[in-house]
Amino acid sequence: MERGQFNEHISGQLNRNLEALFNQVLEMGGLVERQLDYLLEATTCDDRSIAKKVKQLDKIVNREEMEIDRLCAMVLARQQPRASDLRLIIISIRMAVDLERIGDEAVIASKLSSRMAKQRVQCSSLPGFKGLVEIASCGVENLKKSLNAFSCLDLSEIIDIVDDQERMELVQKHALAEIQEAFEKTGHSPEHLMEMIYAVRACSRITDHVVNLTESVVYLVEGRDIRNMDTVKLSEFLDGVKE
Amino acid sequence: MSEAKMNIALDRSNKALSLENEKIAIEVKNWNLYYGDKQALSNVNMLVPENRVTAFIGPSGCGKSTLLRCFNRMNDLIDIVSVEGKMALHGDDMYEKQMDVSALRRRVGMVFQKPNPFPKSIYENVCYGLRLQGIKDKALLDETVEWALKSAGLWEEAKDRLDDNALAMSGGQQQRLCIARAIAIKPDVLLLDEPTSALDPISTLAIEELIFELKKDFTILIVTHNMQQAARVSDYTAFMYMGELIEYSSTDNLFTNPKVKRTEDYITGRYG
Repeated sequence: MERGQFNEHISGQLNRNLEALFNQVLEMGGLVERQLDYLLEATTCDDRSIAKKVKQLDKIVNREEMEIDRLCAMVLARQQPRASDLRLIIISIRMAVDLERIGDEAVIASKLSSRMAKQRVQCSSLPGFKGLVEIASCGVENLKKSLNAFSCLDLSEIIDIVDDQERMELVQKHALAEIQEAFEKTGHSPEHLMEMIYAVRACSRITDHVVNLTESVVYLVEGRDIRNMDTVKLSEFLDGVKE
Repeated sequence: MSEAKMNIALDRSNKALSLENEKIAIEVKNWNLYYGDKQALSNVNMLVPENRVTAFIGPSGCGKSTLLRCFNRMNDLIDIVSVEGKMALHGDDMYEKQMDVSALRRRVGMVFQKPNPFPKSIYENVCYGLRLQGIKDKALLDETVEWALKSAGLWEEAKDRLDDNALAMSGGQQQRLCIARAIAIKPDVLLLDEPTSALDPISTLAIEELIFELKKDFTILIVTHNMQQAARVSDYTAFMYMGELIEYSSTDNLFTNPKVKRTEDYITGRYG
């Protein structure tokens, strides 16, 4: 499947609308990508002003979701898309929801750096920090891969995302255990540790939503719904994509 | 939502249709048709499921109407037509020499693009086929006319004017009358050749709803230029191009994830 085929309809209006939809999803994706970059920077540099930017961007991200919904409803009502065009509409709605949620989770996770900076506590001094950064970095990286795959309709770079997710679950488990352990020892404020738990969980949910984005792109390109597919079938399918 | 409507909604959304799970009404094997030297259908193979709506779509001249007319041997009326292959209705070879074509056409009714009621009363139109079969029993005729008109969704509009000339009805009513006439003789299969292309949108919707109801009793094959109509009314869709059956699958699959690029190009309105 090639991107150009969405511009080959006899109806120029449909071509323009689908192109606009592609661009709108990519634009929203780009904004969320920036939110995650800011989140990572704010967390590693303990910079409150950068953490604020995550929240500021979220308002624009929310508006983008509504615009995508509007475009999809308009194309459905007026042009009755079919086959890959229909799949594009379905996944655009789904992707917009996931991107909006990623933005929300980024806002939650950014509260850690914001509050710690206010109290002059370095995030890196808290238990679970390493895991948090690893999960957030994975989220940023895989979001970029998913958006690239959507833009180029090429699945070759995103097939490892599902494996990454399994790895991230272990990282999260380890980070939470580390924080739990710190609760039992002295030295860290329980309030700070709770903030860290919220941040780890939020970043973990970000990677969950990135997996959803990947599944949506697979559905668009291959027409296969890989959600809830059992591990053996999924691995066979991903091997097929690799080949 | 009423219970009946809810059942229909569930029926439409929940079933993942597959030919493997269907009873087959018509089997088409290696079917070829020629107009003189020109081949119009090439090696068509398909199984038409019983009590389902099967739609044929494709560009003008692709052979969908020609194929539809094979199902009741309407093409026999054209001198230069010759056919090869096998076509069987419930296992009976439709093209074997001993086949009584009139009997076959009683089993396979047809409704055409333009409503074509006879210049007779509504009542006489509906019982025309029965009279041809020699049925004279007034009670039986009355009962069948009422059943056919009710099945065609026309009874309420026609019951008080059964003796009126059918030509005085609106286009949509005339087409439903033609459907009533076709089903009055209780065929197994109903062929619909663009049955709504001459009708307004409201009449079109009425006929589409009727098709959905009629499939409980009949196997329906419909040719339509309107892809949305095929998507709305059919359970299975066959896409034809230049005399070939390019893709044939459940309507859900064909309209969301066609397997052949030419099908995708056609149904999405792309060049190609």
